[in-house]
Amino acid sequence: MTPTEALLSTRNLTVKYPYGDVQNVVIDDLNLDLYPGQIVGLLGESGSGKSSLALALMGLARHPGVVSGEVNFRGQDLLKMDDEELRQIRGNSIGLITQKPRQALDPLVNVGKQISRVYRAHSQASKEEGQIRAVELLRSVGINDAERRVSAYPHELSGGMAQRALISMALSVEPDLLIADEPTSGLDVTIQAQFLDRMWERARDANIAVLIVTQDLGIVANYCDRIVIMEDGKIIEDRTTVEFFANPHTDYGKKLILSSGADAKASNADVAVITSPEILRVTDLRKTFEVDGGKRLQAVSNASFQIHKGRSLGLVGESGSGKTTVGRLILRLADPDSGEVWFKGERIDAISPKEFRKYRSKIQAVFQDPFDSLNPRWPIERVIREPLDLHTQMNKEEKSARVKELVSLVGLTDDILPLRPGSLSAGQQQRVSLARALATEPEFLILDEPTSALPPAARADMIRLLKSLQERLDLCFIFISHDLSTVRELCHDIAVMYLSEIVEMGTSEQVFSAPSHPYTRALLDSVLFHDPNNRRVDRKIKTELEGEIPSPVDLPNGCYLAARCPIAEQRCRDDHQELIQIGPSRSVRCWKSVEASK
Amino acid sequence: MRRYVLRRLAVGVLQALGITIAVFFVIRALPADPVSRIVGMNPTPESIAQARRALGLDMSLFQQLLTFLGFHGNGVFTGSLGTSWVSGSTILSEIAITLPTTIQLIVTSFIVALAVAIPIGMATARRPGGKLDKGVFGYGLFAGAQPEFWWGLMFIFVFYFKMGIAPAPLGLLDPELTAPDAVTNFILIDSLIAGDFTAFKSALGHLVLPVLTLSFLLVGPLLKMTQQSMSRVLSSEFILYQQASGLEKKSIGRSTLRAALAPIITLTGILFGFMLSGAVLVESVFSLNGLGQYSVAAVLNLDFPAVQGVILVISVISLFVYLGLDLLLAKIDPRILVK
Repeated sequence: MTPTEALLSTRNLTVKYPYGDVQNVVIDDLNLDLYPGQIVGLLGESGSGKSSLALALMGLARHPGVVSGEVNFRGQDLLKMDDEELRQIRGNSIGLITQKPRQALDPLVNVGKQISRVYRAHSQASKEEGQIRAVELLRSVGINDAERRVSAYPHELSGGMAQRALISMALSVEPDLLIADEPTSGLDVTIQAQFLDRMWERARDANIAVLIVTQDLGIVANYCDRIVIMEDGKIIEDRTTVEFFANPHTDYGKKLILSSGADAKASNADVAVITSPEILRVTDLRKTFEVDGGKRLQAVSNASFQIHKGRSLGLVGESGSGKTTVGRLILRLADPDSGEVWFKGERIDAISPKEFRKYRSKIQAVFQDPFDSLNPRWPIERVIREPLDLHTQMNKEEKSARVKELVSLVGLTDDILPLRPGSLSAGQQQRVSLARALATEPEFLILDEPTSALPPAARADMIRLLKSLQERLDLCFIFISHDLSTVRELCHDIAVMYLSEIVEMGTSEQVFSAPSHPYTRALLDSVLFHDPNNRRVDRKIKTELEGEIPSPVDLPNGCYLAARCPIAEQRCRDDHQELIQIGPSRSVRCWKSVEASK
Repeated sequence: MRRYVLRRLAVGVLQALGITIAVFFVIRALPADPVSRIVGMNPTPESIAQARRALGLDMSLFQQLLTFLGFHGNGVFTGSLGTSWVSGSTILSEIAITLPTTIQLIVTSFIVALAVAIPIGMATARRPGGKLDKGVFGYGLFAGAQPEFWWGLMFIFVFYFKMGIAPAPLGLLDPELTAPDAVTNFILIDSLIAGDFTAFKSALGHLVLPVLTLSFLLVGPLLKMTQQSMSRVLSSEFILYQQASGLEKKSIGRSTLRAALAPIITLTGILFGFMLSGAVLVESVFSLNGLGQYSVAAVLNLDFPAVQGVILVISVISLFVYLGLDLLLAKIDPRILVK
């Protein structure tokens, strides 16, 4: 690339927060140039000043911060402009997408009005024109029934929907520079891919400059031309993406690349006949929830699968697909409407909660949010000891020995035992949760997104730990996740869920090497590999899904994917699809895939 | 929405009735005899018995309650609150005179207090630690620590006695003027209805010092609340985003105020209910003869019907004030559902 003149360049940019008499410097004397048509990824650990920099580029700081230095945008210093000149540039020439979409919207005003306000602040449009434009913009970011959604208030929107509203606001006036602070952190993978693809095209076509703040190496590798790494308010590395992936200079960069090293390697999957005894069997599980107005939301329908000793099942799907509910039904945290759950030949869904208690020590769980699942007032020692108190007859010495054994099993040291959960990192907290789950030597584990709340490096560590435990303890578990590469690495078998149904099942090897259902294919295509030489944008994507996931309250008659599916025909819209076996331990819910497999 | 209002009103009426009945019994449990107040020194047993009969105190407690509620002749259910044991006139007519005076005083004081507190609160929230903020802090320390009657006396001393620009703190009107015909009993409104501008000006003049005193006090908590609420909204994500979107300053200011308004409204409601009878010190200092003074006199004279009546009226007014506030809050914030 031959950079032309910089669109925006900062000189000695500094952001300070007065803290009593002390000045807390979050951006320290920083120089950065952004060029038209270039997408820059801004990386760094939390607290390194990434988000402050994103704001400072618009001459803004969170109340009561102070920005100083120079921010030259097209040769004019933003920090010397008067309020009106600055206002004309913000939201007009420079657009911002923030990471907390719902908080970024005014809770008291409907989204249509908010979009229209931004649009009208930079044009001569009337109120009516603004409202029409708001509908257009919402539709352009893939929101169904935009006419109805414009009058929705932010609290009535899902995180993904709020994010789109925000994106439509930022793009409403066609900016020259787009600053996106973790723009996809609340979005599902297929939606994330949709958004990033569109942004990439936009940057190429309209020659706009983009700065993406992110922690996700996949985004950086696939979409960014250049990488900037921050630490303590300073830039410590600034190079092209390809150079960075080949040879990171800084410790942080090296650690980051290392943490993604295990990326997308298939697990020890095999199609061989399974001879080990069956641990868990689920048949025709169905669960609906009542929502406002007496309607019923279908969370899980016709879920059937079994898991054998020593094997692991990955339950994959986007938010709202029902994967978490399946886990909760097995754990008896909710009761199914119909269907059966069998554990080692005994039916456990119909017994009383009291009778179920004896299975609790055999079936354990680890949940997504590590901090929420630990009692903040208890020392770690007590947290891990609790299941031993409840389910075993051990004496004090035995318990204390077992707690120490568990701590070292999950790769922690004894000195954390007197601490409380609040003083541990998220990764350590999740290890404690795991140690607690393993305390009673359970025969079956449910791991519900145990890695998704962790920062990248801790996530990689956690996966490595789970993998080694799997081999050493011969664990049998369900791993619930939306992160396909993790599932691929950890699980023997995979069930892909979409809108309450399992749409495809098979071994990891089968599903990942030859996905059959259009949804699975789209999901796999959305995976962002950590490799700048194999970018999603360079591939020709055949199976892109359109639009939004339908509401689980008003499900369509035919195939649930039909409205988004690139290969849908009339028959798909008319007939509801059944899960049909197409090979040994392999089934799919799509008549077209079934025919193709013959 | 309409069903919500009706339900709230129904529940509120029951509450008001419950409070009144509770008060009915509690005051009768006081270790004091209202009869001894009425019969004077050295009464004969006959005069005592006669007074008891006249006040209805010879009946059983339950019968007294039924009488009060209106099961034997006029009572609460037929719109009568009985007659005062001290003056002999109906409680309603006495409240009809004293209540407007108090409402006129506190409504004006709230208008003044909010008009001062909100802009200053907004400004100081924008510039914490600025000159204005320091001034406000000083005011908080100074004004908050002094009782209101003392401020009332100070204002009288300065503005009436020393400077002579305020009228004498004696009632609602200059003594040489005749009061306009009572229509609403709000003297400001009545003087306008009568077209008597001299009386109107005089009434307004007599209102200045009491309102100054009361609002001087009310500004404290209201200002503090505005400040806190505003600075919370100012550091919120969506105001930052509106700035980043290049919205006009005026428009951002409006969003900020609207988002900050809810706690201020709630506080106003609470203070209003409290001030209905809590303005008594200011009423006394300026001889206004309002509801606060009336209720204190009723309690001191053991005038049971007057005490019951005042409490019933105050709780009904509070009921409407709170209902109005809740509807207002629901109007401002779509997250508050009115079902």
